[in-house]
Amino acid sequence: MTESVPLTWEEVARVYGRKIYNFAYRLTGNSDDAADLVQEVLLRVRKGLAAYQPGSFEGWLWRITRNAFLDDIRRRNRRPTAPLPDEVDRWVVASAASADVEYSRISIGDDVQKALLELPYEFREAVVLCDIVGLSYDEIARAVAVPVGTVRSRIHRGRRLLRESLT
Amino acid sequence: MNHPGELISAYLDGELTRPEIDQLFDHLSACGRCAAEMQGMQSVRSAVRSLPLLELPAGLVPEADAEVVPLRRNRGFLVGAAAAIVALVIAVAAIVTPSTAAISVEELSSRYGARASLDPAFGPAKVIVPQLMDLE
Repeated sequence: MTESVPLTWEEVARVYGRKIYNFAYRLTGNSDDAADLVQEVLLRVRKGLAAYQPGSFEGWLWRITRNAFLDDIRRRNRRPTAPLPDEVDRWVVASAASADVEYSRISIGDDVQKALLELPYEFREAVVLCDIVGLSYDEIARAVAVPVGTVRSRIHRGRRLLRESLT
Repeated sequence: MNHPGELISAYLDGELTRPEIDQLFDHLSACGRCAAEMQGMQSVRSAVRSLPLLELPAGLVPEADAEVVPLRRNRGFLVGAAAAIVALVIAVAAIVTPSTAAISVEELSSRYGARASLDPAFGPAKVIVPQLMDLE
């Protein structure tokens, strides 16, 4: 994964917009939520790019993306305090599993997408950042702010659950 | 037996050190359960990675659209423009340096096509057709 820093906000939008969209879509199964997240992330990138310190651009960008995603979930959850990660997960799974409209947004027969939505949030996030976005474990660790060993564990446990779900 | 399950996924992702790889394969050679898990993890990983990469909804990020849209909208024009430029270069080359054959038609067409697709400012105004006509 490249460590080079895109020079302008437009380049960030051009290079990463689609990846951010796919990240959010695979986490939620919802195209509207994914579109909202892309706009929110690019807004935050635009504000933060001037203060960006050269380093791991991927880690920086995906930390912003993840935080925007969790903020969005908290806002939708309409809770006065920030939910714990497992509460976040229940919200996402419940919203995807309970409403017919959500099911309609998941293509029929897309077993893998459904299985992803059933994963606990931390596992789903790690698997999506690894297999959909294509980040290294080190970049995921920086984005999620956990040790690399935790990333390794979450990805493996996530895949184990996916295998159980798909077989 | 201590099964090094996490090493399996990390190995598939290219995230293991050489000693860890040796440790994993020493174990796999003696443990059918982990060998089966390696296969299972491989197929799950492939399944997730084979999910289609979705396109951004049109108009959501105009900056991202700019990379693709001009090529699609102006495909016919760009082919014509590229051909005109190629003809111009060949004509000039023939006049100024008859022995020079530094660039192929395909290469130039590809180069200008790519440039035009990335840079919206690269457009009709840059192609000076009258000069081409004069040369002919």
